Amino acid sequence: MRKVLIIATLASLVSMNTLAASNVGANKIIKEATAAYKQVAKDTSYQWTVSVKAIKAAQKAYDAGNFTSAEKLARQALDLVDATRIQARIEAKTWQMRVPK
Amino acid sequence: MKQFLRSAIAGVLGLSISLVAVGGPEDDRLAFKKYYENKFPDTPTEDFANGVYSILPAAREQWEAIEEFPPYELAVEEGETLYNSKFANGKSLVDCFGPEGAVRSEYPFWDKDRGLVITMERAVNECRKANGEKPYGWKKGKITAVTAYMSFNSRGQEVKVEVPSDDPRALAAYEDGKEHFYTKRGQLNFACADCHMLTAGALYRADTSSPAFGHATSWPVFRSKWQSMGTLHRRFAGCHKNIRANPYKAQGTEYSNLEYFVTYMSNGLEFNGPAARK
Repeated sequence: MRKVLIIATLASLVSMNTLAASNVGANKIIKEATAAYKQVAKDTSYQWTVSVKAIKAAQKAYDAGNFTSAEKLARQALDLVDATRIQARIEAKTWQMRVPK
Repeated sequence: MKQFLRSAIAGVLGLSISLVAVGGPEDDRLAFKKYYENKFPDTPTEDFANGVYSILPAAREQWEAIEEFPPYELAVEEGETLYNSKFANGKSLVDCFGPEGAVRSEYPFWDKDRGLVITMERAVNECRKANGEKPYGWKKGKITAVTAYMSFNSRGQEVKVEVPSDDPRALAAYEDGKEHFYTKRGQLNFACADCHMLTAGALYRADTSSPAFGHATSWPVFRSKWQSMGTLHRRFAGCHKNIRANPYKAQGTEYSNLEYFVTYMSNGLEFNGPAARK
């Protein structure tokens, strides 16, 4: 009986720890994505609607306690923000090629 | 002697290359106009003021039928009433823009004192504010009624936007609008120029993209999609949403400079707003 209790306690501690880690991880990435989104807008004036949607969806999943999904969506938002920055960088150099001469 | 000749040739070449690179707004406009005239050789130049209907004969017939009972007529009537209504101080828009408000060709212009582009919508709201009234919303509603009335009375006026050469800020605003027009944005990676220049006349799903030459002449418009009137900045915002880019603020610097550039490109055409569009 003692052994069972110890195992059960350990198992619950491990699962709580995992849960807490996901919670912290998702929250951190949502904050990162939000900050990156604002920063790229400030630096380049470029913003994509899909980045906002991904951040909002991540926050919604987080609030619902679905941390795995929240983290996944926040990472998607980060990727979109990265792509926005790359677009701005490319366009700053190439837009003039479209001007008729 | 040989060396002298080489230097002279290099100098001449260098000068001509830099002249091409430095080309100002008027060079831009001529190249812009020529681009559309070459792309749509069957369209008379002045007809580009009719948007997509200048290049689509079938749609044009429908549009001409719509124009017999134009959906913007109610807005013009409402605009006339608003235009002549007295503010609380006893004045009205008449005091700012004259008896009929036929001032479309004066906008947009570069305001040297304030260092910004003034659009007709901004001028209307500034008149209201100066007289103690609340400004109208920027994209739809009463602002479109008033500007529809003013545009209606201005039909036939020539587009003649100026970029004053004695104020480098004006050229900077123009260049900003130009860069905006040619720059890809949004997740779909489209520039205004992609749809309305490079692939103007092509189908995007069921819609044909209109040529940008003449784009700025017909506002405000009644759009079937909106089932209401809207300003040019409302349309800019809609385009940006379509390509999954966050729209900018109506009458903010980005859209005002874009309007400055796009309208300049239509110099020489006639203002023909308000209009009906799909």
